[in-house]
Amino acid sequence: MSTIMSIFLGFCAIVLIGLFWLMSVYNKLINLRNQVKNSWSQIDVQLQRRYDLIPNLIETVKGYMNFEKGTLEAVISARNQGAAARESIKKSGEPPSPEAMSQILGAESALRSSIPQIFALAESYPDLKASENMKILQEELSSTENRIAFARQAYNDQSMIYNTTQEQFPASLVAGAFGHKLAELYEIQDQEAKKPVKVSF
Amino acid sequence: MAMNFWEAQRRAKSRTTLFVSIFIIFTLFIATSVEFILRNISESNYNPTVPWVGLIFIGVTFCVSGYQYARFQLQGGKYLAEALGAQLVDSKTTNLKDIQLLNIVNEMAIAASLPVPPVYILEVNDINAFAAGLGPETAIVAVTRGCLNLLSRDELQGVIAHELGHIYNGDMKISMRLGALVMGFYIVFVLALRLLQFSPIERDDKKGPNVYLIALVLMVAGIITYFFGSILKASVSREREYLADACAVQFTRNPDGIASALRKIASRSGSDMPKEGMAFSHIYFDDRGSLSSLFATHPPIEKRIAMIEGLDYLPDEWKRDIPTKHQ
Repeated sequence: MSTIMSIFLGFCAIVLIGLFWLMSVYNKLINLRNQVKNSWSQIDVQLQRRYDLIPNLIETVKGYMNFEKGTLEAVISARNQGAAARESIKKSGEPPSPEAMSQILGAESALRSSIPQIFALAESYPDLKASENMKILQEELSSTENRIAFARQAYNDQSMIYNTTQEQFPASLVAGAFGHKLAELYEIQDQEAKKPVKVSF
Repeated sequence: MAMNFWEAQRRAKSRTTLFVSIFIIFTLFIATSVEFILRNISESNYNPTVPWVGLIFIGVTFCVSGYQYARFQLQGGKYLAEALGAQLVDSKTTNLKDIQLLNIVNEMAIAASLPVPPVYILEVNDINAFAAGLGPETAIVAVTRGCLNLLSRDELQGVIAHELGHIYNGDMKISMRLGALVMGFYIVFVLALRLLQFSPIERDDKKGPNVYLIALVLMVAGIITYFFGSILKASVSREREYLADACAVQFTRNPDGIASALRKIASRSGSDMPKEGMAFSHIYFDDRGSLSSLFATHPPIEKRIAMIEGLDYLPDEWKRDIPTKHQ
């Protein structure tokens, strides 16, 4: 076999290996992005559940809490902000963009402090406190809160895997060209949750 | 990174394969030993070219266990729950306790990335629960009325997470398969016993094999395999309980919930769980019906609590997620 022939064959082999590598990186990233989207949809369902429950809550307490109008309005505006951001993520069909995510997180942290406030205020109205409807609403809202917390874990884990894969060499060379962006983590912003956990063994 | 659902399912599957293989190799070994013994006892007069007795042993074991397993598969988790008299909780219920139960199951299904199973309530005062059904898609979860009345929300969450842990780990599949095989050994023993009763000890002609001796050897083989099979099945079952407890901690991120539910069970005496359920005692959240620890399907409660609080059974990659107490 002539030298030119073997150089040519070697070259072909290298190109083929490169193509196969590109294909596998491409498929892997698509796969991971779909998993991120899928785990986001778990959060999305719960957010919608919460945004649907809030008008019920307002309706139930409205008659009683004339003096606390400010609290109710804060809840409503946070809910509307969150619902709008949720809609826009859903329309884009992609993992949440940084802007939409920060809107949702802002709305969430406002709701996390103002909803318990409503239930605390309701304590001073005996009728409201004893109402079965109010108890069910409280259970439903706190369960939704739990579900968001559990779904968040899975979403953040998936996003982390997706992001790490994009950032690692040599996939980092092509991830951007294939249209992949780092996924936004869902992280709670209130002070309580940010306190460091003391580890002791 | 928490262990991923598919990874857990794959591990569970390979463990099931391992245990079933051990059982099959054990069965083949016993069948060979039976043949060997019969051929080496001159009185048995047993010397055919085809190893009939060994084949009968293997045939009976696998036919019976195949039949038994097919029955489990056909019936599914719903059948078991209904056989025990449990009621399906309606998803449109307006009862606060029932709503709470459905909510908790939903939360835990999200934490475990499992499909949300149908939920049943068993009208007894005991604190107990079980998961049934062979795969995540057909599984159900049942809890007793006692659970709803006596446990706090956190404790109930721990119990539900434990049951979903069984579904997550594929435990029902393992225990049903092992149960079916043990049943096969038991039937070999019963058939040999019958044969023994009807075969004469004294024989008029000395031609042909000694049926009495063959039945005796088969019976001994049946009882040995049944005995060791039961021990292996029980030890596998206890192992799975610890794992499900570990899953409960992982899913709820709260070791106190399940530990305090177990303490409440330990402090109660007596049991009013349905008697027809004794055959399924291994699937209950707690089973105090078994006497000796060798055959017990569940580890002692105190040991389970110690394991939970020490996070002993938790794989290292899970410990990161568990909030540690402030000191």
